[in-house]
Amino acid sequence: MADILQILILGLALGGVIALMGSGLSLVFGVMRIVNLAHPSLIIGGAYVTYWAFKMTGLDPIVMLPVASLIMAAIGVLLYRLMFERETKSAKYSEMTVLLTFALAMMVEGLLGGLFTNTQRVVSPEYATDAFFIGDLFIPKGQLYAGIVSLIIIGGLSLFLKYSRLGYAIRATTQNREAAELLGVNVNFICILAFAIGIGLAGAAGSLVSFVFSFFPAKHWEWIAMLMSVVVLGGMGSILGTVVAALLLSVIAAFVGTWIGATWSTLTFFLALFLILLVRPQGLFGEKPEMA
Amino acid sequence: MTELLQVSNITAGYGDGPAILDGAHLTVEPGKVHCIIGPNGAGKSTLMKAICGMLTIRKGDVLFNGKRLNGMRPDQILREGICFVPQERALFPKMTVRENLRMGGFILDDKKELERRIEGILERFPILRERADQHAGTMSGGQQQTLAMARTLIIKPTIVMLDEPSLGLAPKIVQEMFDIMKMMSAEGVTVLLVEQNALMGLKNSDWGVVLDLGRTLFEGPAATVLADPRIQELYLGGKKAA
Amino acid sequence: MAVTLDQSSASAVVEARRAHNEKLARKADQTRATWFPLAVMAILIALPLLQFTGNYNYLLHMVLFTASYVAMASGWNILGGFAGYISLGHAVFFAIGGYFSGMILARYGISTIITAPLAGLLAAVVGYLIGMVTLKVRGPSFIISSIALLMIARILFDNWELIGGANGVTLPVNDLSVQWAKVPYYYAMLAIAAFTVWASYKIKHSKFGLGLRAISKDEIKAESAGIDTRFYKVMAFALSAFFVGMAGAVWGEYLTYLRPNIFLVILVSANLVLMSILGGKGTVAGPVIGAILIVALNELFVATMGASEINILGTGMVMAAGLMFFPLGLVGTLARKGKLPRVLNWD
Repeated sequence: MADILQILILGLALGGVIALMGSGLSLVFGVMRIVNLAHPSLIIGGAYVTYWAFKMTGLDPIVMLPVASLIMAAIGVLLYRLMFERETKSAKYSEMTVLLTFALAMMVEGLLGGLFTNTQRVVSPEYATDAFFIGDLFIPKGQLYAGIVSLIIIGGLSLFLKYSRLGYAIRATTQNREAAELLGVNVNFICILAFAIGIGLAGAAGSLVSFVFSFFPAKHWEWIAMLMSVVVLGGMGSILGTVVAALLLSVIAAFVGTWIGATWSTLTFFLALFLILLVRPQGLFGEKPEMA
Repeated sequence: MTELLQVSNITAGYGDGPAILDGAHLTVEPGKVHCIIGPNGAGKSTLMKAICGMLTIRKGDVLFNGKRLNGMRPDQILREGICFVPQERALFPKMTVRENLRMGGFILDDKKELERRIEGILERFPILRERADQHAGTMSGGQQQTLAMARTLIIKPTIVMLDEPSLGLAPKIVQEMFDIMKMMSAEGVTVLLVEQNALMGLKNSDWGVVLDLGRTLFEGPAATVLADPRIQELYLGGKKAA
Repeated sequence: MAVTLDQSSASAVVEARRAHNEKLARKADQTRATWFPLAVMAILIALPLLQFTGNYNYLLHMVLFTASYVAMASGWNILGGFAGYISLGHAVFFAIGGYFSGMILARYGISTIITAPLAGLLAAVVGYLIGMVTLKVRGPSFIISSIALLMIARILFDNWELIGGANGVTLPVNDLSVQWAKVPYYYAMLAIAAFTVWASYKIKHSKFGLGLRAISKDEIKAESAGIDTRFYKVMAFALSAFFVGMAGAVWGEYLTYLRPNIFLVILVSANLVLMSILGGKGTVAGPVIGAILIVALNELFVATMGASEINILGTGMVMAAGLMFFPLGLVGTLARKGKLPRVLNWD
């Protein structure tokens, strides 16, 4: 019993981080219909920003998080204006953006590899290797903190989307772009904003990832299918769905990892992605199979 | 001069594509219900999109109270008081009725005033108050169309343009929609609608416009348009040409 | 599968279209220069004779390398270009071909050149089965599912002890002298590439190819026109896997080892997409031109800058620029402008 609880705790803490990693991806798809294959590579970008700050000044990754997030958001604005704004009129828009983001992922990977080499890195603040003990259970502090911070950020994002004027505009654009434009929403600005928030979330996730996982530039290929499975299961575009799917899959993966073997735990995500695409392409929370 | 909106000889199309509208004109008088009829592909919806700023007008002018509208963005035209409801209701299906109404007043800066106006709308449309916290996508077609029309009233518009408000609705419900339009026009809102069911549309309007092949063929009082034998034959499903 | 048109007016339309098509075909025949690809083939076939005069192994290697990508990109193009289903998982079939023939070579000493068609067949069968499942979705969903496929295959191959796991398998080296060691693979790969391009041409001009192009334009309309879209798509997937699998088989022996991190990397898949798009997706010559360009470019990057990071960065940049500025690819853009040189008009 204690075993099961232990696995559950580890799965949930990690699931929180994965939820944050996926939320930006989901937001960007929801508003702009861009399947951003470069999202994980930008998370790694955020992780390197954090790593670099830690190495230079010893700055705590969680303190660095807002800065990394802002830096990545600014990069997001730049990328959107350079690469995606011009494609909005393209006939094969969604397909085109998938390939463009794929190319972007390679560019980011190559750039990071050139700057930081392909060595595995990890940021190691003291709490990253420490843990709380409750009876037989242990809770690694790093994962716990990262999970909590993730859920706080996602909570803030949800409140922003639910209640603020810009949040209304973002949700309206997600649900009916034309109608939003007709009601006076500057849709192009909303797209830039949503993209910036999405990439900013990648930066924030990067700061947390930097001390939870070890990373290197090519690591993002392992994450893309993992995050896609979370986002697709959650119903592309739904933040709540993304959180639920992340927690669920992460817990399942934790059990698979413990009971069957560590190599097979990532397979959980890929197989899940495969199954969802085939059985219920609209995901758990999506209503229309827009992706299919 | 009594005209509120004057569209003269405009040419417009999508992107770099061919001109859908070529020589369309339109005169809109205040307080009346105007109905645009014409076959599929005549350019009816395109005309509305051109007026509300969603399409670039290549040639010609749109004058609203003497002010040129062409070249303005949709949100600027909305602020002038022209509201457009495209086909398929244009609601936000996963927002509640109240949130949809709030989006209707997106351009209003005064939050308190907005809430007051929403209350006013809910007062007038009891069915919407009943469903105020329900997702718009879960309502019936008629209720959705009611919401779409009611939503335009939030900004107290001068002109409301409706693209096929009767689409997919049962005949009895369609009449309710026309009643709402009459109520709007009685309050001084000018209504411009595109109607596939030309007969029904004209019967409920003051002014009729026949559009075909991107050009305005005929403009006149709805009764005159209804009575014209040529129009009956070609567009009202009257006697088929031999 | 047959197209049924029962309206009387339809037959008149069909007649008119047929006449129009025949006119177009005649016009195309007049402009096509079949001598050009044949001449190129003749030169390439004669190329190993240079070995009598010195060591041209690097040249042979480059041709062989390009030929392998010509075959794979042209194969990918059957699904991605003709049918419009973009797969980023085709490295899986490269690996299946390589491992199947490679393992036979390691166990029984039968050269992969002999077993390559079988490897292709196995890849096609696997492609058929996978296609039955993944081709239910299209657009971005299909692209994502293909990435998932690659990831799943990588984990399986990495952990499958029988085929060496992550460390892979070393294959026996043939006992020809250094001068001639590459030549058998050179001819084998050249034959595979030529066969693929020929098949790609034949497919494009068949009823099957027409159906695929209809699917790529508008799948729902294609289906309502009586095309069994499901079968067409799955067959296209199987065929495209076949050619990639054959190339993989010979590549394994040429490389003398099999390893998941060589065969099952997304960069291989990305290259196929890149070559097809840059050259001209959906055209016969496009993937060929694209393969030559990208191999040359890669070689340039590696030769001038050395590092593989720069190679990845460069590939990404070329891909992004190609997508943004030449979405129709070299052949497609030139053809649209009516400026495609006759020697490149293979369609």
